[in-house]
Amino acid sequence: MTPTQRPLLAALLGLSLMTGKVGARAHNDLSEVSATSALPVAVSVAAPAMLLAGGAVLTVVSVQASATGTVWVLERASDGARVTLQFAGAAAGASLAASGAAVVVTAVSTGWLISTAGQAIAFVPNQIGVSLLYNERVTR
Amino acid sequence: MKALWRTAAAWLLAAAALCAHAGRPCERQPLQAAQVERGMALALATERALDASGAEVVVLARAGQDLSQYGLNYSHLGFAYRDSVQGRTVWRVAHKLNHCGTAEAALYRQGLGDFFLDRPYRYEAAFIVLDRQLQSQLLPLLRDNQRLAQWHTPRYNMVAYPWSQTYQQSNQWAIETLAGAAEPAASNRRQAQAWLQLRGYEPTTLRLGPLTRLGARATSANIAFDDHPNDKCFSDRIETVTVDSVFAWLQRSGLGGATTTVR
Repeated sequence: MTPTQRPLLAALLGLSLMTGKVGARAHNDLSEVSATSALPVAVSVAAPAMLLAGGAVLTVVSVQASATGTVWVLERASDGARVTLQFAGAAAGASLAASGAAVVVTAVSTGWLISTAGQAIAFVPNQIGVSLLYNERVTR
Repeated sequence: MKALWRTAAAWLLAAAALCAHAGRPCERQPLQAAQVERGMALALATERALDASGAEVVVLARAGQDLSQYGLNYSHLGFAYRDSVQGRTVWRVAHKLNHCGTAEAALYRQGLGDFFLDRPYRYEAAFIVLDRQLQSQLLPLLRDNQRLAQWHTPRYNMVAYPWSQTYQQSNQWAIETLAGAAEPAASNRRQAQAWLQLRGYEPTTLRLGPLTRLGARATSANIAFDDHPNDKCFSDRIETVTVDSVFAWLQRSGLGGATTTVR
């Protein structure tokens, strides 16, 4: 890990992201309809800050299951700089990210959005974003 | 003439069937990047507006669908309340969600981001700050999963009749829970509904003709009409709990203040 990676990692590792995924529901309602969501939310990230500045095009090097969830490794082709994203649960393993795929990182006010061909495949919340994301099913 | 009678008889049978049951499968598509950007931006703007309101509990609505043909602005509501996570103030939304077009629903506690990433039709939120006493009655309940579920019925019907306990749609759960918080004697759904009637809540009447009901029944597991009184159902008057009727009632009854809109 480079020195530039540490502050970002430290900031994000401390965040208590309870949710592993958000969004993706179908509607046809007068009250509302919802399905289990499908957008993986990173619980931690290790990356040079410049890579997450927004607009970066990266390549998916690997998507692997870990003891606690799923780990993605993304790489910038020009200099080999890498981003490692960790996700809770298996949702991120069955996502649109596949080895060799090109993804775009977009910086937004609440974090970083990772997309491919206009489709959101993951979200990395910053400290503002993390307070907005939470998902708990109260009843069975 | 015989053909005419046959047609009339077929319509009557169809209408009778419509005041029975219904269903629809669910489509799942990945979120578009623009939907995530806009949903999270609306969540952040709403968080700031809620912080500025000074409230602890509000009724928060979103526009999940275009209901303008029914004269309605919003489709879904829940309670947003102030909470604390590791010393930081956060807003959580307690609301009821139908499972992907099935006939079942469950209660959820979500962040504002999750609430607005739900592919709204229009990126706009609206909230009403509740009366102070009502806020203090609701707040402990919203943090307590057991109490939150006290007025919850899993059987879901998007157009559930407001004065029946057979089904329950999302907005209906919210106002019955509000009633239960406000009136300790309203410990079950029937009593909560009685309190709502006593306090002057009036549902929206949707004019849904036989063709519309037939389409709904044929395609949706989460739409039923068998809980509606026959006289209303056969005269195409389907009463249900809508955001707009709840907002109007909260203001009319003094239980809530003005509507704040966030875009």
